[in-house]
Amino acid sequence: MQARYDIAIVGAGITGCAIARQLSRFDKSICLIEAGDDIALGATKANGGLVHAGYDPSPGTMKARMNARGCALYDRWSEELGFGFRRTGSLVLGFCDEDRAELERLRKNGIANGVPHLEIVGPERIGELEPRANPDATCALWCPSTGYVDPFEVAIAAAENAVSNGATFMRGAPVTAIDRPEGGGFSLSTPRGTVLCSTLINAAGSGAGEISRMAGDRGLRMVWRQGNIAVLDKEPRALMPLYPVPTPMSKGVIVTGTVHGNTVITATAEIRGQGDKDTYADDVEALLSGARRLVPDLDTRRVVRTFAGGRAVIEGTNDFLIEASKSTPGLFHAAGIQSPGVASAPAVAERMEQLLRETGIELVERADWDPVRRMPDDFDLAPIERKEELIEADPAWGRVVCRCETVPEAEIVAAIHREPGAVSVEGVKRRCRAGMGRCQSGFCQSRVVEIIARELGVEPSEVPLEDAGSWIVDGPLKKPGAPVGAIAEEGR
Amino acid sequence: MTRIETRDYDVVVIGGGPAGMGAALAAREAGASTVIIERNAHLGGILRQCIHPGFGLTHFKAELTGPEYAQRFINRVREADIDVMLGSMVLGIDEGGRGGTAHNVTVMGEGGMVRLTCRSAVLAMGCRERTRSEIKIPGSRPAGVYTAGLAQRYINIENLRPGHRVVILGSGDIGLIMARRCALEGLEVEGVYELMPYANGLHRNVKNCLEDFGIPLHLSTTVTRVIGRDRVEAVEVSRVGEDLSPIPGTERVVPCDTLLLSVGLVPENELARSAGVEIDPRTRGARVDQDLQTNVAGIFSCGNVLHVHDLADNVTAEATRAGRAAAAHALGTGERDGLAAPIALEPGGMAGYIVPARIGRMATAKAFFRVRRPLDRAQIVISAGDTVLFRGKVRDYKPSIMETAPITAKMLAAVGPGEALTISIDPVEEA
Repeated sequence: MQARYDIAIVGAGITGCAIARQLSRFDKSICLIEAGDDIALGATKANGGLVHAGYDPSPGTMKARMNARGCALYDRWSEELGFGFRRTGSLVLGFCDEDRAELERLRKNGIANGVPHLEIVGPERIGELEPRANPDATCALWCPSTGYVDPFEVAIAAAENAVSNGATFMRGAPVTAIDRPEGGGFSLSTPRGTVLCSTLINAAGSGAGEISRMAGDRGLRMVWRQGNIAVLDKEPRALMPLYPVPTPMSKGVIVTGTVHGNTVITATAEIRGQGDKDTYADDVEALLSGARRLVPDLDTRRVVRTFAGGRAVIEGTNDFLIEASKSTPGLFHAAGIQSPGVASAPAVAERMEQLLRETGIELVERADWDPVRRMPDDFDLAPIERKEELIEADPAWGRVVCRCETVPEAEIVAAIHREPGAVSVEGVKRRCRAGMGRCQSGFCQSRVVEIIARELGVEPSEVPLEDAGSWIVDGPLKKPGAPVGAIAEEGR
Repeated sequence: MTRIETRDYDVVVIGGGPAGMGAALAAREAGASTVIIERNAHLGGILRQCIHPGFGLTHFKAELTGPEYAQRFINRVREADIDVMLGSMVLGIDEGGRGGTAHNVTVMGEGGMVRLTCRSAVLAMGCRERTRSEIKIPGSRPAGVYTAGLAQRYINIENLRPGHRVVILGSGDIGLIMARRCALEGLEVEGVYELMPYANGLHRNVKNCLEDFGIPLHLSTTVTRVIGRDRVEAVEVSRVGEDLSPIPGTERVVPCDTLLLSVGLVPENELARSAGVEIDPRTRGARVDQDLQTNVAGIFSCGNVLHVHDLADNVTAEATRAGRAAAAHALGTGERDGLAAPIALEPGGMAGYIVPARIGRMATAKAFFRVRRPLDRAQIVISAGDTVLFRGKVRDYKPSIMETAPITAKMLAAVGPGEALTISIDPVEEA
């Protein structure tokens, strides 16, 4: 099988999806190619969701440029794409004079990077802004532009908007070889067929080095800077993001609320083997103790989930690599998008459009381009009258499957039939939160498996948790039709 | 604008498992108009998937399976003129009903949204299983890690095989029962691992579910890592020391494709919390008085949402009391004794918790509790301040068994103002 596109984007993380969405505005055919079986399976999934404001990166770096601009773009992206985004502001807490000096340095950094309204505040103001912040904090950097999102939701929303504007999404398609045919352009081999394109955008996250090498550019060496993250159960009021004073390696262990009211503790930073997504007891302990230092009354027993992932860091630089390849015409990199990749994504997409134009690619806006994503209702967040309307229109909106997050069957069915839709239990979870709550799908997993099997016309044994190979159940224990035990029946 | 339908009841029971059905039957019998709200399409709660015997020995003097035990109550509910709303979930409880004199219970279901007003609401939502994340097992996150209850559902209800070679962590009753179920269904059970130096489940289950099937029980051992990218390929287990942390150097890799977790149950009180019900951090259930009433007047709690019980029979007994009290509150037939100055009950010694949390001065009641660890020789000591009011006989205590202590009017009379009544389990040295 062979298909030809103007532009192929390799990698459906938040960066690749944002670029696909940005470019879907123009008269180019686009293919978004993903090695995994869904969107956002790499660094995007294993991410704390903070939209950092941009006072942290060194002025003059690509990171610094992308971060502040990306953060500023989030209001519009959220409005058009309909994902949850809260611009809450944040505090970096300092506990001594040394910390205060560091906060002052960050403030100057931020001003140089174009971050608005930065201010050093004292204990009283800290208490007003976040009453649960450690009262021992003597000073803090108050940054009103910080916010948070569910990063996988941003990627999914951007991909859906790109696809509704004509882009093609190809999943389960790891690129195994890239040829450069005589007439120019690229030929990408994948298990799902060959993709021909004239422009190739490398947004492959931790695989960016390999894609670069295959496309004839230098083989970037990637470092796996691994982080553990913990999600805590919902609070009556979501916490404002609270940061410790950063280290040269990372921003340290941050505590933040989420758009659904959970608390996230993110993240440790350890160099580990490529692809290591294990959680470690010491890391999790470091998260919980770090969080308690910022929010002393945080009940860290209420852990809903711990997980881990790697930031896609290019060896030898701490910066993003966003550029047209110097050796391979038609190849563009959006590589090394480590932290603050979520905050930067809209700006990286914008920058990629510019780079394409700078190399002489003509981009003409399509008359029918629609920046607004159509999305199904979020039942849990809908007002009661809307809930009543939904159930009246279709009783499946009244059948709750996931009790922890109040997700009805209709919302799960919609998640499966969105484009690109969910093909796995985790894919359903990322789209409508079924199984994301405190019971971690103990109550609803079997129902979700059943619904996916029914909607996709497969057997339950063919429904994976995530990628192919992550089977949940094997075939029937007893022959279908045979009596299956003493299940209570009416009127027996 | 869409109008939300409103219906009035004396008693709304939230949850249709053994607790909810028991409470509803008692409330209806006392003359209250009663409705049960149940999330699933059937009454019976988790009993529907508990197809093993061992239910009803106290209540029915017969050994029944879970579905049989449930069915006896389902039949009685059908005959008792109790409304049942299946496939319905409560979204919230507030005090705005009937001009502030009743509770509003907002319910969703296939029929749409309904607002129920009631003088009394009984919380009977049961509990959920603790998850892998709550106990923070390190390692990867592949398919094949299930709570025991989920695996039980796959096997007993869905007729699906959750795996082939199984390791079970936790020797609670569900873990033990599932070891036997897996063995009976032809799954290979490699072993049951338990963090504590003793089995957590009932003695009869250790005997009937493990020993009879030749399944090894590894005490003072826990799972310290999950291994496998897509599906579980193995787990690493380690011995633990007295402080319950893993001992380095004792790691052993056990090949398996499935890890079942039976690592504790947590009352599901999110709804209660949002209704302003005060929660006891020890039980993670509501703080109630001797009538199982919470701090919010007219809201009662019973069954596993109040504290995790050992036997369904005990849930039924407690629920009956809650239903009766809820009806009395709704109909205004209750005694209004000195609840204005209730006496607090506090656990002491090895008693892990006490239900109820407070008690009226004129009441006589039983207090329920469990011990924190097995004790060969211990006695119950009830005291007020420094004054010992009662000493029980020396005997053994096990955490798997829910214990009771009688509270008499005489004991209550001895409690001074501002004092609490302490129920303590004190280990006794060999004489």
